[in-house]
Amino acid sequence: MFNIRKRRVVAAAAALTASAALVLTGCSGGGSEAAAEYDPDEKVTLNLAFWGNDVRAAMYEEAIAAFNEEYPNITVNSSFLNFPEFWEKRQTEAAGGGLPDVMQFDYSYLRQYSENGLLLDLSPYLGDIIDTEPLSENILDIGVVGDETTGIPTSTNAWGLYTNPKLLDQLGVEEFEGGDWADYDAWMKEITDAAAAQGVTIWGGTDYTGRIQNFELQQRAKGEDLFTEDGEPNFTEEDLAEFWESGSGIREEGTVIDQQRLEEIYPLSAFDSALTASELTWDNFGAGYLGNLGEGYTELGLVAPPVTEEGAKDLYLKPSMLHSISAKTDHPEAAATLVNFLVNSPEAGAAFGTNRGIPASETMLEGAELDPLGEQIREYEESISDRLGDAPPVPIVGYGSLEEKFRLIGQELAYGTLTVDEAVDQFFGELDVVLNE
Amino acid sequence: MGCPGPGALFSQGPENHVSTETQSIVTAEAESKSVRQAMRQLRRSEYGKVPTTEGKRSQNRRETVAGYGFLLPWMLGFLGLTVGPMIFSLYLAFTKYNLFTAPEWIGLDNFVRMFTEDPQFMQSVQITLVYVLVGTPIKLAAALAVAMLLNYRNKGSGFFRSSFYAPSLIGASVSVAIVWRAMFSTDGPVDSSLSLFGIELGGWVGNVDLVIPMMILLAVWQFGAPMVIFLAGLKQIPQELYEAAEVDGAGPVRKFRSVTIPMLSSVIFFNLLLETINAFQVFASAFIISNGSGGPAGMTNFYTVYLYKRGFADGQMGYAAAMAWVLVIVVAIIAFILFKTQKSWVHYAGENR
Repeated sequence: MFNIRKRRVVAAAAALTASAALVLTGCSGGGSEAAAEYDPDEKVTLNLAFWGNDVRAAMYEEAIAAFNEEYPNITVNSSFLNFPEFWEKRQTEAAGGGLPDVMQFDYSYLRQYSENGLLLDLSPYLGDIIDTEPLSENILDIGVVGDETTGIPTSTNAWGLYTNPKLLDQLGVEEFEGGDWADYDAWMKEITDAAAAQGVTIWGGTDYTGRIQNFELQQRAKGEDLFTEDGEPNFTEEDLAEFWESGSGIREEGTVIDQQRLEEIYPLSAFDSALTASELTWDNFGAGYLGNLGEGYTELGLVAPPVTEEGAKDLYLKPSMLHSISAKTDHPEAAATLVNFLVNSPEAGAAFGTNRGIPASETMLEGAELDPLGEQIREYEESISDRLGDAPPVPIVGYGSLEEKFRLIGQELAYGTLTVDEAVDQFFGELDVVLNE
Repeated sequence: MGCPGPGALFSQGPENHVSTETQSIVTAEAESKSVRQAMRQLRRSEYGKVPTTEGKRSQNRRETVAGYGFLLPWMLGFLGLTVGPMIFSLYLAFTKYNLFTAPEWIGLDNFVRMFTEDPQFMQSVQITLVYVLVGTPIKLAAALAVAMLLNYRNKGSGFFRSSFYAPSLIGASVSVAIVWRAMFSTDGPVDSSLSLFGIELGGWVGNVDLVIPMMILLAVWQFGAPMVIFLAGLKQIPQELYEAAEVDGAGPVRKFRSVTIPMLSSVIFFNLLLETINAFQVFASAFIISNGSGGPAGMTNFYTVYLYKRGFADGQMGYAAAMAWVLVIVVAIIAFILFKTQKSWVHYAGENR
């Protein structure tokens, strides 16, 4: 309790100095224009919901403090949850008509909420309260469903391979040099073996076949997205069986951390807990990892994921998150003002750095003093440019559930309570249900 | 969702048996009889004051109105918060409803899917049955054993009664589930203490085979409520019966079998029914211990947890409603069977059978 409070005070102080400095240098973001539009005397309260951990929560506190410098009349009540719980809560709120005014939004749920008229069409505010100058056209297009803009991307991210240099050092293993999936398996095995030889409990990584993104990556290497433009599945049972089968080696040999251990440390991941030396994930997770790893860890390695097919454009830039407004908000202008601030302002950039991914807006990017990690992520996204292809179509309704189902089936495979064939059956059964909903 | 609390379901059964029985736990049968007689006399003398039938009728009406008046707040709650949602969920059980769009009638599809196309449902049913069928008897046995110990001596029994009851007060809370999770982790207190005896089980939380035993232990640990009821029942057994048995040369085992069990059978029945229904509805502890995932490998994916996940995480409200009704029916059947069989083994004091 005390720690959190102290951190908040420090964060608030940092926000104050940061915003004071920005005002002094005459660099006050896109918000000033909106301020004229908006009645500054009206006192309003907005609810803001996001997913994340306490590291991100402190950043939001900082951003909101900076926001209140400019708009003291808008009180922002924020709340946060883990990703799965966040969506459970939104779902019930959606049915009851009580969504928060402003939400951090995920690409995989955007279609579902937009098509059901739950999100405010932001078109009237674009170029007005919400400054579109610093956002590129294709960034804005990401948040368009049908002919409405229902979300503004805050930032982009890409799939990457995080490694833990300190652990690698300790074990005397070199950084992953790149290569195909077999090379990655071998490299993980080297780490696990080295750790076993030293008598420490460290593994090379986690079972990557438990995550749908790695399957997507391998499918895209063949030139196929998971779903077509029309929302039809674009992979066969054989594709999926082959993918899950490919992980059986690392599971059975104990190259990857065992599922039992993962279960015990949840909601932290193995990489958060310094139990594994590598993790395939979105590149904006770095700040969270460093936060959870704690004081002893100051840097992370970030390299490209294993190659499935040489020369394939398997990676893509994804909006790591968007900001959306509830269609039923009482204060659309105030909410749009907050969204503009969170998406465009240099202050928000200063607060978040790369926690939400590389800022999509130029003004926010300018404000973001990229720490070494942020700089590293930016360089990483440049380095993979020849592997970056077109983003897949806006995910189908229910993609979020499928992603979670994939994760749970991956766990069962790791426990050995499902065979690959049963797992494939279950996933396609689930897919049927989702497509029919 | 559509599952009634144990109380609601209970009232559908032949409640007379049970309510008189609970009374007899609290007050001796003889006493309650005399009270009833006194009440009857009182009522008779009251009516006696009213000379005409006309007045009597209006008094009756007034009493009825007053009765319903007092009932009204409860009736409103019952109709608005229990019956209404239950009827609506019965309708939803035959629809496809994703919370976002209007429900769409699909007939029996939800039930067909449940029993033929959903391996997760089958697994969920299986582990829930294990939890109920293994957990409930152990819990009742533990409750009875401790109640008998507490009944043995009076000295300090108040203190022990409270401390044994305490876990059931806090058992359902979030903090206890979290503590439980920590206790059964690798190198946690349970793992370490077992290691002392050379039993190397590792953590229980992430172990597919040990997580149900762990959940059962958590339930057993909360035996306070049935224990208190057993204790009250034990105190009702007349000492003369034991004395008579002793005179006839019965040992402790014989006394337990031939005096305690028959005299306590009605209380055992009551506890068995209530605890079985409760066990079917296990949710909070499993949800928290598995972080809402029902893991590891679906082994804490108990019926209600799965129902919740289908309804709220996957947005399949129609399917969830159908699951809720299947649970209601199963629990009702079990309650019905228990009521039917009680004739052969439950002995009510004061009845000549």
